[in-house]
Amino acid sequence: MLTLPRWATDCLKRAEPALAASGRPLALWEKHKGAMRLVAVDAAATGLGLAAGQSLSDARAMVPGLEAREIDRLHLTQLFADFADWHSNASPIVSVLTHAEAYGDLCLDITGVSHLFGGEAAMLERLVGRLRRLGFSTQGAIASTIGAAWAIAHFAPGRIVPAGHEAEALRPLPVAALRLEPAQADRLVQLGLKRISQLFERDRKSMQARFGVSFLLRFDQALGWIEEKLDPRLPVADRFAEHRFAEPIGLIDDVLMCTHDLAVQLASRLQGEGIGAQSFHLFLYRVDHKVMTLSVNAARATRDAHHIARLFAHRAERLGAEYDAGFGIDMIRLGASSILPLAPTQTGAFGVDTGSQSLDRLYDVMSSRLGALAVVRARPVNSYIPERAVVLEPAIAASPAGPEAPPLTVPRPMRLLPQPEQITVIAEVPDAPPAGMTWRRVNYRFVKASGPERISDEWHRTGRKLQLTPGSIEAASADRSRTLYFEEGRSTRDYYVVEDDGGRRFWLFRLGLYGVAETPRWFLQGFFS
Amino acid sequence: MLGKAQTLATLKQQVAALEAQPVLKDFEAGPRPQGLLATPRGALHEVFADGLADSGAALGFALAQARGLLQPARPGLLILQLKADAQELGLPYGLGLQNFGLDSEAIVLIRTGSIVELLWAIEEAVACRAVGAVVADIAYAHKALDFTASRRLALRSAASAGAVLLVRYGRAREASAARYRWRVLPAPSAPPPFDERAPGPPRWRVVLEKGSLDPRRRGTEGEEYLVDWTDHGFALADDTSGSGRSGTDRPAVPAVAALPDADAAALGDRLSQAG
Repeated sequence: MLTLPRWATDCLKRAEPALAASGRPLALWEKHKGAMRLVAVDAAATGLGLAAGQSLSDARAMVPGLEAREIDRLHLTQLFADFADWHSNASPIVSVLTHAEAYGDLCLDITGVSHLFGGEAAMLERLVGRLRRLGFSTQGAIASTIGAAWAIAHFAPGRIVPAGHEAEALRPLPVAALRLEPAQADRLVQLGLKRISQLFERDRKSMQARFGVSFLLRFDQALGWIEEKLDPRLPVADRFAEHRFAEPIGLIDDVLMCTHDLAVQLASRLQGEGIGAQSFHLFLYRVDHKVMTLSVNAARATRDAHHIARLFAHRAERLGAEYDAGFGIDMIRLGASSILPLAPTQTGAFGVDTGSQSLDRLYDVMSSRLGALAVVRARPVNSYIPERAVVLEPAIAASPAGPEAPPLTVPRPMRLLPQPEQITVIAEVPDAPPAGMTWRRVNYRFVKASGPERISDEWHRTGRKLQLTPGSIEAASADRSRTLYFEEGRSTRDYYVVEDDGGRRFWLFRLGLYGVAETPRWFLQGFFS
Repeated sequence: MLGKAQTLATLKQQVAALEAQPVLKDFEAGPRPQGLLATPRGALHEVFADGLADSGAALGFALAQARGLLQPARPGLLILQLKADAQELGLPYGLGLQNFGLDSEAIVLIRTGSIVELLWAIEEAVACRAVGAVVADIAYAHKALDFTASRRLALRSAASAGAVLLVRYGRAREASAARYRWRVLPAPSAPPPFDERAPGPPRWRVVLEKGSLDPRRRGTEGEEYLVDWTDHGFALADDTSGSGRSGTDRPAVPAVAALPDADAAALGDRLSQAG
């Protein structure tokens, strides 16, 4: 766990060296309920007695030379995210804790990593040291739970707590070290519970009643009684190959060439283990502490280096102007995830080639260039509502088969309008098939029609209970549901297949029954071939 | 002198090689599909409808042509559409494709943001040896889709023997390298057997504006066919049944008039026959 308590001010100072050189105390303020209050202060300002929460005018009066700026939280959050990604050069799983602030606390899972840095102590020293050299005031700690690491990094930095000794390490710390809400911590202190050690002998049930479930959750998480998972910012690669450069590179062509080399390395590794992967991620580490990530997916597990490199080439083409190498890239890592066993296959001379492999490759390439949602396949699902009866899902990510769709016995159109278009319809008598319509300002006269096919509302989808007594339908339809097309009793559709005098075949429906809805409306939803 | 003659000979060879490009000669890969309106594989088609309201008929005819060109070793069928055209034309609907006699789960729909991406996707798709046909549904005329682009597509499809069908709308015709140009008009359908007033199976009036169905004969442009789409493929429609007002009993499938060179097998399902 690394904590950067003065990230906001340090970051600003790094961006504007003149500010740091001037030596004036710096504070960031924010409008809160109409008052301007300080939210972050640097070390010099703290020394002069300023603290977060003060009003800006008080602070100005106390410290006449104060440099005050308005805080830009969005920008800081973005910067911190980039900064966190850059730390993946130390450990693959990096996460930003978001329970309080979107920046400031960085959590690294160093399981199985520390030996690369010469042990946990050396690793901590190195990570903290390199941030301090960059001008960030940094505190760090290592513990086997997130809660304990956070507590120690904030209140007793620099320590390494071996697994199983969390309770001893936490005992002397104040209760605020449990990542509690400020109100919870205040109440605990009011009741005289100032140290964590005092909490151990309290009755859990009464504590829960007084301070809420979240308090016990934080307590248990810190002690490791409840598991807490890190939410990694970057996709976690199961296998990877990486290349570091003596001189940073910038051109996308160089990057892709290097990607190809890495793909060959990675492929030979995957082959040695008899596995293939479905997702590949390319991490480009820029010299200015940012990481760009490109991900591609394959429809089936693969370890073909040329195919992988080709997917990245297409993906990079879609990147276009978004590609920004900054001052250069000094490390490239190619990772593979979604690992599946992939036995070597022999292409048979007598087997029937159904071409499915070439098709899958084609869809991979198209998805990487056009986006996975642009290459879709229609899958029938169990629904009678026409637009719900088919879902479009990415061709490279087939979902497991759901419940069997009902067999089709009625005509369905070749094309369906994504949004049904309202039309005016002429009908001889109310319940007769339509005799003509006006659609897109053109009149059509129908000579043939078949129908109606009545499709009623799916009550189990509208989030309303099934109405068993007829009288209550009126009451239920009084509170209109959110969707336009699904209102109890009013949303029944009568579908007609009609043909005009020129032979064009349309699919129309009337929304609502005569007598139930005030004015039934007509819509055009599809075209027959 | 000898050098000059040699140079001439090599140049002649090069010209001959260029002329032997697949698109310039008749490309015949394997057995030619048999049947009504059957076309050779590896050709670029343009299917024109008169207006956007005929989009169903145009896509229906294009998919009917495409179904005839699929083979067991080339099962891939792709439909391409611009994202912006979805509301104008309607998205191809999976259940409707099943009704039409296609396996909707084997068809992949590609929705691109721009015409350039669409053309790239056609080229990429038709170059794949498992793709039997690519149907591109384009609502409006685009600058990028000019003669050069169509020539590229024609060469690509000839080289890989996969068919490309461009579905276009409007009456304007631009120069294009397409080998076939069809104009598809919907026609009043024959009534189904038990309901005089209901629409029947799809019926189209198809005009072959460019290209020839008979490899031995040239200049058959302007031929007109009135065809029904049945479960077994195209069938010539009986023109008199079109009005549906005669009131007498009609057979479920209108009488099929065999073409002179089409044998009985041609009426069977081409998908099962192609292997």
